[in-house]
Amino acid sequence: MNQTEFTALVLPFKDKLYRMAKRLLVSSEEAEDAVQEVFLKLWKGKQRITNYANPEAFAMTMTKNYCLDRLKSKQASNLKIVHSNYQNSENLQRTVEVNDGVSMVFKIMETLPEKQRMILQLRDVEQFEFHEISEMLDINETAIRVNLSRARKTVRDELLKKYNYGVS
Amino acid sequence: MELAKITKLLDAYFEGNTTLAEEAQLREFFSSGNVPEHLQGYTALFASLQEAKKETFEKEIKLPLESKQNNFWKWSIAASVALLVGISSYMYFNNNGLSAEEEEALMAFNQAKETMFLLSENLNKGTQKVTFINEFSENTATINLINQFTESKNLILK
Repeated sequence: MNQTEFTALVLPFKDKLYRMAKRLLVSSEEAEDAVQEVFLKLWKGKQRITNYANPEAFAMTMTKNYCLDRLKSKQASNLKIVHSNYQNSENLQRTVEVNDGVSMVFKIMETLPEKQRMILQLRDVEQFEFHEISEMLDINETAIRVNLSRARKTVRDELLKKYNYGVS
Repeated sequence: MELAKITKLLDAYFEGNTTLAEEAQLREFFSSGNVPEHLQGYTALFASLQEAKKETFEKEIKLPLESKQNNFWKWSIAASVALLVGISSYMYFNNNGLSAEEEEALMAFNQAKETMFLLSENLNKGTQKVTFINEFSENTATINLINQFTESKNLILK
């Protein structure tokens, strides 16, 4: 496979990988690095990706693993994500001017446990089927539904709480 | 869409029991602008999920060129090996391992051998004829001797 063929294969899902990486790493710069890194790895193992039944799921799994590794090493090296949080909120204000509610939802999503964040991202943002998410995250479908329900309820409850504060 | 159905879908949604099609219906309903007051709280939720999908990766993907060079090296090595095998097998099967120079020498040798053979054959023919002549002259000599003998006999008889 040459670079053109490779790019044609992987480019259609670059945005999904980026959004997933950003959902986990929060900082857009780090998410960009993650996508770049994942593409590099895919390119180096390009013989394998063509053998794979679902290259998109394969790439998504790699992105997930890379981001979780990054988060782990960040915690280990005590590198706090205060800086990237700041960067993100600035970014949000710039890109998301729809209403306060939307940025509030994003803030709430950042507080979710990683597993719930990933599942919410893959289901409600990218609209993948449960069996696809199951393949990407290596979690069974029942557990996905449970985590998804928890994530959706948390977002709803937190959102309503904030709205009520705003009203009262 | 009926409100009762939306409420039912919402309940299923928060239990994680909706299909993708049903979730699409919910998103559509909450972005329609006809959301009743008591459900307004969910508008931001569905709006942000749609908003989240708008972000794109705009950077150029950088892939190393070296793997292409690697390929070039691999191919050139493979090509030279194939060439070597091809040439040697061609030489082995066609010429019994002889080089072009040797081949030429062999041909010249064969030609020379053939000419020599031809020459010797003709020479043999020639010598055969010579012996013939020799014999003939020998015979004539004996005839002469006989003639001489008869002559001398005649002389004696006279």
